[in-house]
Amino acid sequence: MINDKDSQKIVDYIQNFSRKHSLFVMAYGTGCGAIEIPATMTSRYDAERFGIRGAATPRQADVLLITGYLATKTLKRVIRVYEQMQEPKYVIGFGSCTINGGMYYDSYNTINALEQYIPVDVYINGCMPRPESVISGFIKLQELIQQGKADNGKRYRENLEWYRTNQKKIIKNWKMPDYNW
Amino acid sequence: MEDLGLKIFGAILTTIMAFAVGMTYGGIVRKLTARVQNRFGPPFYQNFLDLVKLQSKKTNIAHGFMGHTAPVWIIIASITVLMFIPILNGNLWFPNLNFHGDLIFILYMMVFGSLGMALGAGQTGNPNSAIGVTRGLSMMVGYEIPFVLALVALMVQYHTTSIQDLMQIQHESGTWLIFSNPFAFLAALFASLGMFRYSPFDIVGAPAELASGPMSEFGGKYLGTMMTGGSIFSFIKLTLYVDLFLGGAGNPDHIGIWATLAGIGVLLIKTFTLYMVPVFYGWVSPRYRTEQAIRYFWGWPTALGIIGLIWAVY
Amino acid sequence: MTDLIKEQKLLENVTNPFKIKGRVIRNRRVEVFCDKETVSSVLLYAKTQLGYIHLAHMTCIDWIDENKFELVYTIWSPVEKVHLFVKTKIDRENPEMENIDRIWDQANTYEREMREMFGIEFPGLKGERDFALEDWEEIPPMRKDFDTHNYAQQTYFNRPGREDAKDVRETLVERSGTEVPDFAKKYSRER
Repeated sequence: MINDKDSQKIVDYIQNFSRKHSLFVMAYGTGCGAIEIPATMTSRYDAERFGIRGAATPRQADVLLITGYLATKTLKRVIRVYEQMQEPKYVIGFGSCTINGGMYYDSYNTINALEQYIPVDVYINGCMPRPESVISGFIKLQELIQQGKADNGKRYRENLEWYRTNQKKIIKNWKMPDYNW
Repeated sequence: MEDLGLKIFGAILTTIMAFAVGMTYGGIVRKLTARVQNRFGPPFYQNFLDLVKLQSKKTNIAHGFMGHTAPVWIIIASITVLMFIPILNGNLWFPNLNFHGDLIFILYMMVFGSLGMALGAGQTGNPNSAIGVTRGLSMMVGYEIPFVLALVALMVQYHTTSIQDLMQIQHESGTWLIFSNPFAFLAALFASLGMFRYSPFDIVGAPAELASGPMSEFGGKYLGTMMTGGSIFSFIKLTLYVDLFLGGAGNPDHIGIWATLAGIGVLLIKTFTLYMVPVFYGWVSPRYRTEQAIRYFWGWPTALGIIGLIWAVY
Repeated sequence: MTDLIKEQKLLENVTNPFKIKGRVIRNRRVEVFCDKETVSSVLLYAKTQLGYIHLAHMTCIDWIDENKFELVYTIWSPVEKVHLFVKTKIDRENPEMENIDRIWDQANTYEREMREMFGIEFPGLKGERDFALEDWEEIPPMRKDFDTHNYAQQTYFNRPGREDAKDVRETLVERSGTEVPDFAKKYSRER
């Protein structure tokens, strides 16, 4: 007989395997890096062979790609999108701008380190990273998922206060403008 | 009592087969689409991985009663319709609850899932959902007309409203209805382009403009359930077309295990061939606008349906 | 070398009625300097009488040593294909400028941007005060006395190694004390 622990292990393995091979990427380009995504998805580099495909809304998405610099105004929307996503969710920081500000390190309006505001699983460096490095970043994320180390949503829930403090430091007003549909 | 047990077992078997076949067809289409676009493409079992992942996602959204039950309506509608579709002609392993008039019943039931979905999507309050639902219902008004005309032509021609009878007629006469009433078949084929929502008619869930339309507030388990329902539905539509026009599959005179397997093989070949029609059409077509789609369906397909009806009467 | 006939003619046409100064920069570029009050008359005159119907750009320069803001209106004629720069200087304290969106509607966008980035007031300007920024509480960020580097260091979480505009590879080399690899040397700034 298999005991509970072992059966949980089997379930976890199956879940992680399917999670790893089916990554729905939120189609939300925040900076200039979004231009690399069509190249990654289409015929030359074909990310769909790894099970990576686009999802139109945050409810369906698993991966949030932060493609490039984040203005504080965009950060507000990014946090909103991130919080609408369902667990398990993963965040990939894309390009130098998300790591240390890149060429916008002294700008009055762009953040410098993404992981201070939302938890990040994988960083892809480069300005811009080529599709090869994007795919290698995704493969790194797949390894983390298989090992069960990609616990983005859990980290955010447990350290919510700390993240909120950092977010509030630059976002003073959480009210969204009225878009008048 | 033994008969009932066999029927329940058959019903479960039918559902599982419909699900597996529908999901695999979807995966094969993804692979073929990738090959056409000169990509390697995902493996054919990709849809199953997606489904397991979606079902293992957590859900903490609440959009009210209809929002919760919308995927369930789709599943209910698809399994109910499946029970009335003869999978194999006169086979004990795939029993169906056919009665005289089930063709009309199916016409109504096929809309049921979409309506439940529409109500659920409406309750989520997402503007994209509302637009998607409007588009979907408008397009349904478009393709239902040639579809119903084609089915009415068959009903008038053979004085029956039972799918089983139509299959039996094809079996006995040896001619498929596609040859005895080609215009009705063409009208129904054009309507199927709209039913499968492949490319020129993917205005409902248009990802670029509507953020997947009615589904935009449904993720995780909801989306997985919808995917299951959709796969069963695509199998239903294909089997219905094969039953009505392409002679169905299976032979009521031979109901052994090998005859059943051969019947399933024939069914798979026929349904897959039919499935490729909307897929091929989708590969070479960009997206229509809603009014263009409706004008398309009310043009030649409807004319063909009327010709088929006249053909059936005389 | 062209002899700049149409540019000279345009300069005379603009400067003579208003008694203002100006010069021809090069072919197809002419600039005039005028008062804060005459700007709208010059623009309206150029638009209605000379055929300069297109407002190509509006911008502002912060001359902090002179304590002035310089506003530049770039207008263009599709017939003569000449850019005319109308320049004016206004005070840096409580800057206020006439709103010209009754001449060109698109001026509204530029004026809102300048109001946000430089703090120049345009009386009667339509639209919300927030243009590109949201909830900005400091002095307008494009002014020269706003220290953007300092602000960024204090507000955003600077990652060590990215305090200045230096090449990251050089910073790493300084810290670790090792040589730059050859492939990195090829792209470094010193060459």
